[in-house]
Amino acid sequence: MSKKALLEQPATVPAAADGKARPARRAPQNLWFTVGPFAVFLALFALVAVLRPAFLTGGGMAILAVQAATILLVALGQAMVLHVGSIDLSNAAIVIFAAIVLAQTLGPIGPAAPVVTLAVVTLIGAVNGFLVAFGQIPSFALTLGTLGILQAASLVISNATTVYATANGQLLAPLFGTAFAGLPLAFWVGVLMAVGLWAFLRFTRAGEGMTAVGLNETGALFSGLRTRWFKVMAFALSGLLAGVAGILVIAQAGAASSFGLGSDLLLPGIAAAIVGGTAITGGITNPVNIVFGALTVALVPIGAAAVGVTPQAQSLVYGLVIIAAVALTMGRGHTEVVK
Amino acid sequence: MTDKDTGTGLLEQAPAPSQPPLRAGRRFEFKNLGEVLALVGLIAVFTALNPATFLTPENLRTILDHASLPLIIGVGATLVILTGSIDLSVEGVMGAAGMTFVLMTANSRGSADLGPWAIVAALAVGVGLGMLSGLVHTRLKVPSFIVTLGVWFVGLGIATVLFGDQSIPFLPDGGIKAWPSTLTFGVPNAFLLAAAFVLAGMFVARFTRLGRFAYAIGDSEEISKGNGIPVLRYKLYVFVVAGFCSAAAGVLAALELGAGSATVGVGTLFLTIAAVVIGGTSLGGGKGGILRTAVGVLMLTALNNGLILSGVSPNIQSAVSGTVLIAAVLVATWPHRSRLRIVK
Repeated sequence: MSKKALLEQPATVPAAADGKARPARRAPQNLWFTVGPFAVFLALFALVAVLRPAFLTGGGMAILAVQAATILLVALGQAMVLHVGSIDLSNAAIVIFAAIVLAQTLGPIGPAAPVVTLAVVTLIGAVNGFLVAFGQIPSFALTLGTLGILQAASLVISNATTVYATANGQLLAPLFGTAFAGLPLAFWVGVLMAVGLWAFLRFTRAGEGMTAVGLNETGALFSGLRTRWFKVMAFALSGLLAGVAGILVIAQAGAASSFGLGSDLLLPGIAAAIVGGTAITGGITNPVNIVFGALTVALVPIGAAAVGVTPQAQSLVYGLVIIAAVALTMGRGHTEVVK
Repeated sequence: MTDKDTGTGLLEQAPAPSQPPLRAGRRFEFKNLGEVLALVGLIAVFTALNPATFLTPENLRTILDHASLPLIIGVGATLVILTGSIDLSVEGVMGAAGMTFVLMTANSRGSADLGPWAIVAALAVGVGLGMLSGLVHTRLKVPSFIVTLGVWFVGLGIATVLFGDQSIPFLPDGGIKAWPSTLTFGVPNAFLLAAAFVLAGMFVARFTRLGRFAYAIGDSEEISKGNGIPVLRYKLYVFVVAGFCSAAAGVLAALELGAGSATVGVGTLFLTIAAVVIGGTSLGGGKGGILRTAVGVLMLTALNNGLILSGVSPNIQSAVSGTVLIAAVLVATWPHRSRLRIVK
């Protein structure tokens, strides 16, 4: 079961005579797909470096990597869901939920706490996926509902206050305490996950199946793939990666609250995935490029400040970035009706 | 009709046989009463649980008061969902419009006092943001959920920038701030405004091109296009109407809060979308109506109110809306499940 065969198969089911037109249509997208995110990051980085030279000399790269680490993990999870053609609006709420669960269990059960947290949030993600795939509900509606439930769950288990991770904090300290090549370990964890996901999508049966679902779900279904389970898997991965992001939040801040660090990760996460070359129509994702997507998104506020935009405008800038990024990168050739 | 009868009977008779059955079929079909029965059942349950507190005039006024914001937003949201799109930008538009209104009317910061023009400016902000959503969605063909997600945060950003880093702008006591909670005919003004929006929305949905085309587009965009409906233009109009409704809700919310805040709309998105779906409007478009949404809003507001009266923590409010949203979508789409159906 080679990747090539899988990619061709679904595409040829509905439009068999499409073979000739394809290379011409694909070419510019491939170019963007491979170097676009890196080029965008480089351009923005150069802009910041010219306008604010102090950014380079004052350890700006390390600060950037700290901020990009959580965004990267959320974006990787979001990308997995976008890869099968759905969207997960609940994954930022999962980050908060995971952070609060971890903060409360870290004292009592120590090293087992991160494992328990990851298991819980992976299960939450899987339930999301299960309902989307087998209930056949639009994913934005379902995850909007889960978002509400998770927000309430976070409020209830934290008693609507800030929860501090008091004991066993040293377990997570190395994530931001140690540096490798000048960047904190947490960022490298994200990069490692990205490379792992790239290999997963490229070389495993499940990864290729997810690609097939994203490119043409009907085709994948007719090819006998278990499309529903691939969706469950994508959402479970999104939950798992959001859980890892929750661990980073605790490692970084030592505390979590429903309105604290991480509560506004939804949009940066989606933006990073899209700037990283992920197509919201599904099937086209390069996790390694999402690293640059996350770095770009983390750099946006710094860049915006450098050109004189107030920090209050941050969400305004993110909102415009996401609209512009989708509008510029969306392939429109095959979308007849857009809802 | 009967007192205008001139005696000939000919003119009146011609439309008479065809119209009454059609109307009756549309309005009084028994299965359409399900949502109303659910609302009545909900009220009965909570009255039994809290006999002394639930069915009192004060509490009913509280429910109507809480229902007014989602009712106003629900009008726009229903129209958008009828066309098969979705508007997630509600909370951002509310924040931007609310801040615009507070800063342009008499406030403790003393930034400006334009009187009624403040409301016009706030509504214009909403129309502008709605137009942005609509234009990007229809002209650049970006899926509506992603555009309106972006516009949500654009609106929040505008509100935050307007808020700046100065003190909170409070509205002066009395006067316009007291308007929403003042009672007219025993009902808060806020609810009367909401009722006016719902009635206007029903009129638009039933008797105007905008409303009829919204149903047609939601039912099938290709067929609508084939029949000469300017689909893209009417989709744009629908988003503009939704922006207008969200902005009006933002102004009302700012009045009720008595101060300017970027997060004035927090939580309304769930409530509204859950209400639209539970009312029976299909997320796929083409089926449903504004009166249905109004019943859905009343159901959810009564549910939240009743739970709080029964001693459930207010922290779980968003979970109630979330669960109801998921359950309603599941129940609504369950009969349409099929092996080959593709839902993104």
